[in-house]
Amino acid sequence: MAVPTLEARKLSKSFGPVRANHEISFAVNAGELLCLFGENGAGKSTVSACLTGLFAPDSGEILFKGEKIRMKSAAEAIKLGIGLVHQHFVLVPDFTVLENIIIGSERSFAVPYVAAAAKLRKLCETYGIEIDPNAQVRDLSVSEQQWVELLKALYFDADVLILDEPTATLDIENSKKLFQIIDKLKADNVALIIITHKLDEVMQSDRVVVLRQGKVAGIRDTYATNPEELTQLMVGRDVSETEKTRTPVGAPRLILEGVTVAGKGNVPDLDDVSLTVHEGEIFGIAGVAGNGQNPLMEVIAGVRNPSKGRISLDGLDITDLGVQEIMAQGLGHIPDDRFLQGLVPEFSIAENLILGRHRSEFAKGNFIDQTKMRDHARTDVAAFQVSAPSINTPVGNLSGGNAQRVILAREFHLSTRVLLANQPTRGLDVGVIEYIYERLLEKKAAGVAIILASAELEDLLTLCDRIGVMFQGRLVGIVDTASSGLSEIGLLMAGHETRLAS
Amino acid sequence: MIKLERRTSIGWFAQLSAYVIAIGLGLLVSALLIIASGASVAEGFGALYEGAFGSSEAILQSLVAATPLIFTGLATVIAFRAQIWSIGQEGQMFAGAMAGYWASLYLGGAPSFIAIPLIILAAMVGGGTLSAFSGWLKSRFEVNEIISTVMMNYVIVFFLSYLLAGGPWTEAGTTSYNQTPILAENFQLPVMASAAKLHIGFLLALIATVLCYLIIEKTPLGFELRALGYNPTALRFKGTNVGRTVLVVMFISGALAALAGVSEIFGVNYRLRGDVMVGLGYTGIIVGMIGGLSPFGALIAALLFGALTNGSLYMSVLSDIPPALVPAMQGILLLFFLCTSVLVRFRIRIKRPAHD
Repeated sequence: MAVPTLEARKLSKSFGPVRANHEISFAVNAGELLCLFGENGAGKSTVSACLTGLFAPDSGEILFKGEKIRMKSAAEAIKLGIGLVHQHFVLVPDFTVLENIIIGSERSFAVPYVAAAAKLRKLCETYGIEIDPNAQVRDLSVSEQQWVELLKALYFDADVLILDEPTATLDIENSKKLFQIIDKLKADNVALIIITHKLDEVMQSDRVVVLRQGKVAGIRDTYATNPEELTQLMVGRDVSETEKTRTPVGAPRLILEGVTVAGKGNVPDLDDVSLTVHEGEIFGIAGVAGNGQNPLMEVIAGVRNPSKGRISLDGLDITDLGVQEIMAQGLGHIPDDRFLQGLVPEFSIAENLILGRHRSEFAKGNFIDQTKMRDHARTDVAAFQVSAPSINTPVGNLSGGNAQRVILAREFHLSTRVLLANQPTRGLDVGVIEYIYERLLEKKAAGVAIILASAELEDLLTLCDRIGVMFQGRLVGIVDTASSGLSEIGLLMAGHETRLAS
Repeated sequence: MIKLERRTSIGWFAQLSAYVIAIGLGLLVSALLIIASGASVAEGFGALYEGAFGSSEAILQSLVAATPLIFTGLATVIAFRAQIWSIGQEGQMFAGAMAGYWASLYLGGAPSFIAIPLIILAAMVGGGTLSAFSGWLKSRFEVNEIISTVMMNYVIVFFLSYLLAGGPWTEAGTTSYNQTPILAENFQLPVMASAAKLHIGFLLALIATVLCYLIIEKTPLGFELRALGYNPTALRFKGTNVGRTVLVVMFISGALAALAGVSEIFGVNYRLRGDVMVGLGYTGIIVGMIGGLSPFGALIAALLFGALTNGSLYMSVLSDIPPALVPAMQGILLLFFLCTSVLVRFRIRIKRPAHD
């Protein structure tokens, strides 16, 4: 058997206490498309960064065409012939396509424009990419920028090409085109690694490496496996074992009808979403982050305005109400990014706890009622077990878990009817997560309608009555957790809308 | 690699001594400048002290000089605490003086107790509106407030030049002085201590200081102002109209700067002319920064700078030190204060870059 073009042997990489990669081993051969598949945070991006010289692994070896290599920078990797197509564009908007591509390749003061332009034109011809080398990158569409990223990697005659979620910004047509290019590259004996969590793309690869919690959960030949098995490997659990106690849910409380939120370009951030959450129901939102969870929560809370559709709370039309008015209707909102959207880090715990109510409940005449604010803070700090030196401590000095407790305390007071919890457990340790879930269940028992968006699928399955899956701004399906399991949701998350029965 | 790490706690003694050292070092470097200019340091500092604090009259004059700086300093504090980097105090002061003067044209023989409050009100509306305009450009069109406020400074200063150099407000029979005729007595701010013309503007400045403190620290508006500076997103997520808050903050800041114009024109010079105000707005920015963006801090810094300005007049008469050294000293003090404020809040760590 031929020597693999690139091989990882027992690669490990930690960031502080977080083990991002643990003894990861796999190999990719010339002319092969290998897929790295896994949930957010499974370690896909870290391993690709190790393979392209962006990170130095803590231990383990990287072999390139059978030889051990040590790369100190991305430039060395490129010189060797290992190219990376970034998930986020790293292009200079004011430069032309050509200039962006030859950045870093100039070896003397004179830039070989003519030769470079000729080479670029030939590349475009070979792979069927239509792009003007002299266009400014700022004028290009998102998909065209993706082609520039790709051309940048191809320009350096890469033997190995790593594509980090290349279709995240492409529409279906351009995704197809990308896979045609990939086929041509395979024919040219390039070894390709694609990172994705879209199942239909996974199934187009030759082999799949499934990562889970920084480890290799399994390697399968694509022809010998199926989406169900891969999903199971990805979430790491037998799919049939979910069993839960159900509490009866009450009358409809929060109703969304065809709600659309306009995005920056032509693609809406939230696309025609309809759902109903009942009294005492926890409605889960699964889906990879960035598929419309934030716009959904924000449009309900009044932070953003819908361009179409209607939202009502207990029969009252709240579509056009502002944040303050909706809040007064008994809605609490735990935002996605706690230090950016939820808290003012430089403010004290006491001040953060009254944020939003500083003009109403906590105002006395023209002033803020300091005594009431402090009493309120003392009660909440005790009730929500925030550990901090004092109520005057800036929340920016608190740990993530304690900061989240401050938000919980504030929003739980508000949420007498609806609670929106957007990734409330992200980055927290198990103790705090358990605590948050207990408090959510208390709210559920009190009849509050809860929407919980989380990346932790298993947790959603145990907590929620129903789970909706979001994909590219749309609610692609709703499943009942009593009757369905992980695999069905996993398929939906990866964009397999058509396979859904309901 | 040099890294700044935020200190978790700061003792009051450490803070105080840091600022004392800053003043000390500032004076030391100023002394070097004096030596370089060929004058005697002892003579220079002696004259400076004499002019600023040497007699009760000198002290009162220092307070008069400090008055506009308190206002422009407070204007800076209000805007900068919201992290709105308004550099428009200068123009807003001019606008205030002009709006006040314009109002006085319609007040004829009205008694002082009616005319003066109306003049002050007109000035505050004038300065506030000019400032709020930049705030509106910022929140509506994302125009950088630094650019827009600086540009408005030029516009307003040149507009005054037009009005006074042969324009409609020029004193009859003269064009070369660039000034209006002298104000009627009922428009002049009442004097509290006649020895040095200490007018009620100073009292207003003290009241404004207390009010600014209360607004920033104790009111819902101040809560929003501070939150806006630190994290406007969280504020928006909890339902505050951030654009409106920017407008209000800018209006207050401009109205305060306008009072500096009132105090110079209606309290000291008794006629509208541009040259007597030039620089007081920009100095107010230094005053606010040295005062640590707190109203009482700005008050103390303004008193210090007022004394410096007043003492420097005496110094330039009594010694060979050029008066231009005084703004240089102010700048040197600012640099040391800014360095100190970073050192107080952060710890400097020097790290060798790690290989691999």
